[in-house]
Amino acid sequence: MEKLYIEATDDTPGINFNPDENTFIISDRSLPENAIEFYLPIFEWLDKYCSNPNNQTAFDFKLDYFNTASAKQIAKILLVLKKLSENNDVAINWHYKEEDNDMLASGLRYSKLININFEFIKY
Amino acid sequence: MAKKEPDNDFAFDLFKAMQKDNLGYIYRGRFSQEITDNILSLTETSLEKTEQSSKIKKRVYSIMVECLQNITRHQEGTTDSTPDNYGIFVIQRKDEKYYITTGNTINKENIKPIKDLIEKINSLEKEELKLYYKEVLNTGELSVKGGAGLGLIDMARKSGNKLLYNFKEINKSFSYFYLHTIPTLSSEEKPGMNSEESLHNIIDIHEVLNDENILLIFNGVLNQESLMTLLSTIEGQMTGSPNFRKKLFYIVVEMLQNIVKHADNKNEELGGNPGIFFISEKDNEYLLTTGNYIKNSKVNEMRDRIEQVNKLSIDELDGFYNKRLFNFEKEDSKKSGLGIIDLKIKSGKSLKFNFHHIDDNFTFFTFQTRAAINY
Repeated sequence: MEKLYIEATDDTPGINFNPDENTFIISDRSLPENAIEFYLPIFEWLDKYCSNPNNQTAFDFKLDYFNTASAKQIAKILLVLKKLSENNDVAINWHYKEEDNDMLASGLRYSKLININFEFIKY
Repeated sequence: MAKKEPDNDFAFDLFKAMQKDNLGYIYRGRFSQEITDNILSLTETSLEKTEQSSKIKKRVYSIMVECLQNITRHQEGTTDSTPDNYGIFVIQRKDEKYYITTGNTINKENIKPIKDLIEKINSLEKEELKLYYKEVLNTGELSVKGGAGLGLIDMARKSGNKLLYNFKEINKSFSYFYLHTIPTLSSEEKPGMNSEESLHNIIDIHEVLNDENILLIFNGVLNQESLMTLLSTIEGQMTGSPNFRKKLFYIVVEMLQNIVKHADNKNEELGGNPGIFFISEKDNEYLLTTGNYIKNSKVNEMRDRIEQVNKLSIDELDGFYNKRLFNFEKEDSKKSGLGIIDLKIKSGKSLKFNFHHIDDNFTFFTFQTRAAINY
């Protein structure tokens, strides 16, 4: 399957989805003017991936900051992964900077609301 | 302009005062190299948007650099942290002309030499000014402070116009020195606005900014691009612990993106929504205020949404947030609703707001959040 790679900018996150290397990373900052538009190709890609996934999928969220519009899109991604986890092995790695309480709290919120395997990683 | 408590009505007054002379961007505070760089990139972004001619852009930009350097060279004061010591930088665009105003504290002893120098500069013609510049450069005389004399001559030469100035007493030893520069942009100049009056308006606004301890104020077209530059300015300027600054960042993004996404606009060609944004500091809190136009038909909905959020306790808000987070039904990017909830959670205080009826179509909406500064 083709990779999905989007370079991070000041207001959009870096995307690096590479099934061959079993790498799925969303990083940096997410505060686009139009979050739905930005995340659309990501959902299209994930839909394809879910029809033929790897045996194991470890998904890394390594975000520095995201706005509320992006928070909804992240919730949506997690729901897609939750669905995938019903028949596959899926883990979420939620990275947060030491002392970044907000980022930790956001991750904890998602982990409470979505029943999926969450790992919290301080960096 | 009437002085008021820095509540939302104050925001409206300030907006009106700034609109009057089309004040685009005002910075008030200490001037460091870093801050100067940020101001330059912010104004450069807005120049890119509003100005077609690259020759004009270059010209305005080079004079801005000179003006800002003049402040860092000139500024002197008793102690660094007293607000009285804060300088001001203002850029205006009106009738296709630019007006740049700076204000900084100087030692009163320097009033006379600066005044004499500007009068002398203003009395010289272009060629004479060139010779005078060389003369001063060679003899090294005239350094009011750190070569400031030369800076003034250079500014007059670059702008091609007379320098307008004013002094205003702060206390026994210090005064503000205001300098108003109008870059000549073409050989066929139309008469512009009354600069004398405009400078007085700026001096009045500076006084209000000092009284209310406003650290940064932006009045202009808000779009994603100007938002991003403003954010980096704020990041470079605000104090507090990294965590606190992050929190401030969250608040500013949601407030400003609300304007970028939801505000209405009388003039579609602006490429964004007109709005005002300022940060003031009071009693160990930052107050963040926005003001923008919305259509009259949206007023009730907006009021209901904020009041609903204001009524809820933090626990209730948390539940409300979770509900909205997974509500993809009305999914167009304009109705997150999460933004307002998040602002209340992040600031922990009631959200203040106000509506001012403008005309049959538009209302001016002001909105304020606060954050306790934590070091």
